[in-house]
Amino acid sequence: MKIIVAIKQVPERDARIRIDAQGKWIDLQDVEFTMNESDAYALEEALQLKEAHGGEVIVLSAGPERVGRTIREALAKGADRAIHIESADETALSDFDALGIARLLAAAVKDEQADLILTGLQSDDLGLGQTGVIMAELLGLPHATLILKIEKTDTGIKVLRELEDGWFQHLALPTPAVLTIQSGNSKLRYATLMGIKKAKTKEVRIVSVADLQASNPDLAPRPVVVLEKIILPHKQRTTQILGGTPGEAAAALVEKLQFEVRAI
Amino acid sequence: MYLVVATPSTLGLFAGPILPADPGRFLLIEKFVLAALILTSAGLFWKRFGIVVDKIFKSRRDPGFHLSPVGKRIWDFFWEVLCQAKVIRERPLPGLAHAFVFWSFLAFALVTLNHIATGFGIPMLAPNGLSRYIPLFADFYFLFAALFAIACVVSIAGLFIRRFVVRPVWLSRVGHELSWESGVIAGLIFALMATYLASFFVADGSLAARLLWWSHTLSLLVFLPLVPHTKHLHLILSPVTIFLSRGSFSQIPPLAGDEDFGLVTGKDLTQLVSLQAYSCVECGRCTEHCPAANTGKILNPKEVILGVRGYLNEYGPVGSSAEELLLGKYNSQEAAFQCTTCGACEFQCPVGIEHVPIIVGLRRGAVNTGAWEDDYGTKLFLAMERNSNALGLSASERDKFIQKQELPIFDGTQEYCLWLGCMGGYDPKGREIISSFVEVMRYLGTSYGVLRKEKCTGDPARRLGNDLVFQQLAESNLEAMTQQKVKKIISICPHCVRTIQEDWKEFGTPPEIEHHSEFLARHQTQLPHQKTEEKIAYHDPCYLGRYRNVYDQPRSVISSAGTLVEAERSRERSFCCGAGGGLAFLGEEHGQRVSSVRAQELVATGATTIGAACPFCNTMFRDALASQGDNSPRLLDIAQIAAMQLPKPDAKPQA
Amino acid sequence: MSSVLVFLEKKNDEISRISWETYAAGNELGKALGLPVDFAYIANPTGGSLPVIFGEDPQEIHVIDHPVLNVYTADGYTAAFCQLIEKVKPAFVLFPHTYQVRDFAPRLATRFGQVLISDVTGFISCGTQPRFIRQLLQGKLNAEYTHSNSGTCFVSIQSGAFRMLGPRQGSTAMGEKFTPKLEASEIRVQPGEPFRASAQTVDLNSAAILVSVGRGIKEQANLPIVEELAKVLGAELAASRPICDNGWLPMDRQVGSSGQTVAPKVYLAIGISGAIQHLVGMKGSQCIVAINKDENAPIFEVADYGIVGDLFEVVPALTAAVRKVKA
Repeated sequence: MKIIVAIKQVPERDARIRIDAQGKWIDLQDVEFTMNESDAYALEEALQLKEAHGGEVIVLSAGPERVGRTIREALAKGADRAIHIESADETALSDFDALGIARLLAAAVKDEQADLILTGLQSDDLGLGQTGVIMAELLGLPHATLILKIEKTDTGIKVLRELEDGWFQHLALPTPAVLTIQSGNSKLRYATLMGIKKAKTKEVRIVSVADLQASNPDLAPRPVVVLEKIILPHKQRTTQILGGTPGEAAAALVEKLQFEVRAI
Repeated sequence: MYLVVATPSTLGLFAGPILPADPGRFLLIEKFVLAALILTSAGLFWKRFGIVVDKIFKSRRDPGFHLSPVGKRIWDFFWEVLCQAKVIRERPLPGLAHAFVFWSFLAFALVTLNHIATGFGIPMLAPNGLSRYIPLFADFYFLFAALFAIACVVSIAGLFIRRFVVRPVWLSRVGHELSWESGVIAGLIFALMATYLASFFVADGSLAARLLWWSHTLSLLVFLPLVPHTKHLHLILSPVTIFLSRGSFSQIPPLAGDEDFGLVTGKDLTQLVSLQAYSCVECGRCTEHCPAANTGKILNPKEVILGVRGYLNEYGPVGSSAEELLLGKYNSQEAAFQCTTCGACEFQCPVGIEHVPIIVGLRRGAVNTGAWEDDYGTKLFLAMERNSNALGLSASERDKFIQKQELPIFDGTQEYCLWLGCMGGYDPKGREIISSFVEVMRYLGTSYGVLRKEKCTGDPARRLGNDLVFQQLAESNLEAMTQQKVKKIISICPHCVRTIQEDWKEFGTPPEIEHHSEFLARHQTQLPHQKTEEKIAYHDPCYLGRYRNVYDQPRSVISSAGTLVEAERSRERSFCCGAGGGLAFLGEEHGQRVSSVRAQELVATGATTIGAACPFCNTMFRDALASQGDNSPRLLDIAQIAAMQLPKPDAKPQA
Repeated sequence: MSSVLVFLEKKNDEISRISWETYAAGNELGKALGLPVDFAYIANPTGGSLPVIFGEDPQEIHVIDHPVLNVYTADGYTAAFCQLIEKVKPAFVLFPHTYQVRDFAPRLATRFGQVLISDVTGFISCGTQPRFIRQLLQGKLNAEYTHSNSGTCFVSIQSGAFRMLGPRQGSTAMGEKFTPKLEASEIRVQPGEPFRASAQTVDLNSAAILVSVGRGIKEQANLPIVEELAKVLGAELAASRPICDNGWLPMDRQVGSSGQTVAPKVYLAIGISGAIQHLVGMKGSQCIVAINKDENAPIFEVADYGIVGDLFEVVPALTAAVRKVKA
């Protein structure tokens, strides 16, 4: 099976959050980057399918040069080759909304004729959770989201999808298809020394955003949805001690759980 | 000189000096037979020994091995080989017996030479032989040898009884309770000594003398070819093995280039590993002191080494057969990952086998190639990849702690950098230790700071064999420390100390580092003491004791606060808490918990406080003691013990 | 005419609460922009109308009816909605942010050359252009988004972001039937029957709320106090290591470094001190509540909400309070 895995490099969860000068994103100084968590699970699912059925796993990622490190990590874990849509600097992709990015990604892999395109469910930074679905629509392919397991069948694939409240369902779909993968389904593998050494010999095809746009005017950024500004919410994570008698504290807690946490 | 004792001589049985009987003149045919036997024996010896030597030399060279400093090697050779110091010290009675056997072999060197020479008609030591030049030399020497022979006979008989009647479990091998070869060899040694001694009691030139001579010779010539086929190969190899040690305790070698992933197949075995594998005497001292082997795990250090030997015997170090995985027929992956790297095995080994680098090497081979699939291990490596700490916690948690304790940030101007480590930065108990130590430093007016950002030293990755993660962490940390001009580090964790001081050397030059017990001991005179009658039991952490030889400094802190009591196994024999080797981060153990066993031992001292010097030991004992009930002793780090004696915060500290 | 169209989703054949919350959001948006509000929903296979509406009276009700839509599929819903939107031409389309909506709404928006502004927690009206607020970096940042063109703006609303409005009795809203043109052959995905995971194994990871008990519970006989709370919350029971070691609860309920690692929406640590081996197993929880009688217990360092008190008094009070709210 030929599987394309779209991976995003995101700031690590630990990163210190300071708003940058333009007020539209965080200050990237001293921020370390890592592979988006649900994308790591998508990669794992792809690698397991390759191990079971043979084929090729291709990593696809868009971003500045630093994305190369995450691509190499994916190659070290077992992907065969990669396509890096390289943007000139940190800001070059900020005018692209989800549709714009999906268009870039779709253009880069259109000719690959993959059997499956996998993405993570959503990114740890923007959390839109749409790129995969949009790509499916752009490429005219069927899709399914929140996938936990993929099995190959004679007519295509059978997948396990997560529903709300602890329910699940199986879906049958033909290939080629697009799937967005939920975190936590499989056991991730760690990057090994041997994998990193092998990764040095694997192909990373670099396609610049400008080149893609040159051959396809459709790809100029015309964001439908514009991020105007970002704000640090007032509440930081501090411990609220709820006092009073047990009854009072209990009532206060229930209120918090209901309206602030929205769990009841 | 004539001995005036009740010897056969003075009893009138012989006239003349005390000497073994002259076997008389040998016939030509006897000389031919002798020559033929010697050649056969030597040939059979070399047939096997040659193969062993070949396998050792064909193994790949050890990267990073240096002969210098030679002085230490010569000392170790003298002390451990010639004086048999470790053999005796660690198992006194059997050790002494073995020492006598060994010394008698040395003492017999000339006897044996003379014996064979006599067979060819060249009486070396006879009165008209060497004794021509050194008067009375023969008299002295043969008597001297006889004394050793007596000691040897008694010793070998004792050892035989120990092995075959008492049957200590450590001597046996999995699947073979008794070793027939040991019996045969013991018998041959006994025969050699007995025939020598008996020859003092027969007449010169008699048939008895001749028969004894031939018995002795045959014993010798049968013994020789047996040596390389059995563990008695150590007779030849172990002095070499001890001389060629890696240089320091539990020293993990660097990887050699892009194709080296650790000990994966036979081709990865190095000359030192092969030499050590063939040197094993199967004494079982390593297994006897192994915390895993003693708590029902399948890991058995002796079997690990013998497993490597078995592999070499079957597959060798080169060729297509050597492409078999080391963790396969002769060694199991499961066993390799039950090791806490406590080093008790390596410490005990009387023939210089260095178990820990071998076990870590096997782990490297599994982890660096992705062959180790363990949920907890993977989680640990991913946490170290993503969060740069072994616990997978966010760095902001550490920041909060630093702020709350108002710890000064290291800016290059302070004398010391206080390294928090993963436990000191994130574990509640570790934080208490840091807080106590900070109190002491504040009292002393010590100039120190903590780094704004720390990454794990990489110790769990290093011991589990993940060189990718370890390299990333070590290099990143070294760079940060150079940038921030860190010169001297104090750490509360022996694992951090060891990893920074030794393991980081592979990637750069680490700053000086010491353990907080060393700092506290140095400042004992400046700190106030409030000694009580309380009994405090001290537990030697593996990475502070055996790894770093720091035993007295923590004890000086404890003695200043109460009465120090020792656990049954202490100092170099301290029994591991079970956390090392990355095991603190792996899942549940099989069999008994190592920490429970050690905790019980510490509680049995009757102490009301247990003194620890490592945050991992602390966390392991915390759980183990909690399950012992409400009357269990309290658990304190030496930093807390020291801080307890400081005057209350409002009192003015002394200058 | 321009309007705000709200999609109401069904759960067990009834309009779900999150849908009514979305409708409330729609009402607010409509009021702010001076636009009427419509809603749409997929008809039951058996037909029928809505018994009650929670919110203002809608301008129009669209009841989408087609046998192909009896079972949810992305292709079916996307195509049906596409046709409805082309007919109604609303300025805004609001969805509740559910798994189902996340599955088809982005596809739908793309078909119109639009982008769904998803998981919105509120909006600010700036003149005629509202700014929608959503969270970035797992809730650490708020971001304001605007819609840049004059086409339909697609938005999905986060659960609990808006409060459901009161019921409007007496309106027997029937709604206008809308039958899209759909063929079964257009549906490329064949969905199976939904099922629950087997009740045999305890999967702490699938629970949204975990009630975890530690040594503070003192004896096995006291466990029912905590079990009752878990039942009333619809939560799974978990424990720290000593409880499992003692055999009071099975090992597969253990949370910690040698047990499971969990990240539920709410983690209630009851009588748990917060040793590192336990913390590493639950630190990823979205909201941590700690109940412990020791105010210095390390668990309070990581908790979002804490009650310093005797769990034997607090937990029953909590159980009662939850029961009251759920009734």
